[in-house]
Amino acid sequence: MDGVRVEANRVASAQARVEALVLEYQTKLTRYVRRMVGDAEAALDLTQDVFLSAHRMLQADPHRKLSGGWLYRAATNAGISFLRRRKILRILPLDRELDRSTWRVDERSAASLDLQAALGHLAPEQSAALLLTSYAGYSSSEAAAILGTTSDAVRQRVCRAMRVLRRVMQEERNS
Amino acid sequence: MMGRVDCARAERLAGTIALAEASDEQRDLYRAHLAGCQRCVDDLGGEREIERTIAVVARARDAESWEPDFRAAFAKGKKRRFAWIYGAVLAVAAVVALAGGRLMQAPQSAAPAAHAISSQEAQAIAALNTQTAPRREGRAESLKFGSPALSTSIVLRVDGRGEPMRCTIAHSSGDPALDESICRTAMHARYLRR
Ligand SMILES: [Zn+2]
Repeated sequence: MDGVRVEANRVASAQARVEALVLEYQTKLTRYVRRMVGDAEAALDLTQDVFLSAHRMLQADPHRKLSGGWLYRAATNAGISFLRRRKILRILPLDRELDRSTWRVDERSAASLDLQAALGHLAPEQSAALLLTSYAGYSSSEAAAILGTTSDAVRQRVCRAMRVLRRVMQEERNS
Repeated sequence: MMGRVDCARAERLAGTIALAEASDEQRDLYRAHLAGCQRCVDDLGGEREIERTIAVVARARDAESWEPDFRAAFAKGKKRRFAWIYGAVLAVAAVVALAGGRLMQAPQSAAPAAHAISSQEAQAIAALNTQTAPRREGRAESLKFGSPALSTSIVLRVDGRGEPMRCTIAHSSGDPALDESICRTAMHARYLRR
């Protein structure tokens, strides 16, 4: 019977921990993913998957350390593969251009639109570097750890992303 | 060390400045490079300009008002979705199609006919005796095909517009060809809510 109780505790503790993670990160993580993929529905979906993986991992090992960085890493990987996949789909005749109408009217500030327009021109890895740092607030070395690359690579990607953002803003001003 | 900086290094320096991680020495190096490189002046801009540009990201973030309807979705979806993960939902029998929706031919715009779902495929899907556990609209659906003797359970992820995004085999029939063809067929449809 002890085995049953241990198992029940294990499930309960995984549940509690994942709920705490959800509570703390759901909004910022989902917003981050939405910026990255440019689509609210997809962001909800991808983020939910991240929390599900967290739940599964914690159920297997309730004492495992799961930080925000882990969540961002999982979310970033999910976002990058989503974007890659969308790019592949885009070359198919079937029109799968994502619906951006879910972008809220009250968020259509110049900054918000400039950022989103720039992100649309960036490679997924560049978007991720820009968003992990300037949007999510990680340092270049933290972002490098999340992305599995070097700080220098992050700085370079941020620079390239910034260059695109600058161009978008200039075009906006000229039009 | 104040050696010469090439454009690639200048890029990394600009990134460092953008992230507010640059030391005085790095800022000096960057300035020195700009003094001799018009291309980087045009392309990257001076420190002020870099800071002004990158500030857009934080401004966009701070102005963000979208509250993901996630807690509710999760709380609601959790039971189903978690149960679903552990296979419980796969045993649930329901009727055709998706949560309150129906399966129908994708309205095609400029897409060639080859990519529209054929009536043959539509029939094939109907004939599969599609069963589904009702779930949050627009989210993954759990579908069960076939008789218990030979059944494939797939998880079909559908985006907000009803386009299938991914199909995974949750439970194999033991026949890879059957599994694959079920996924392929399901991926060709577009799902609309009634
Ligand atoms: Zn240069």
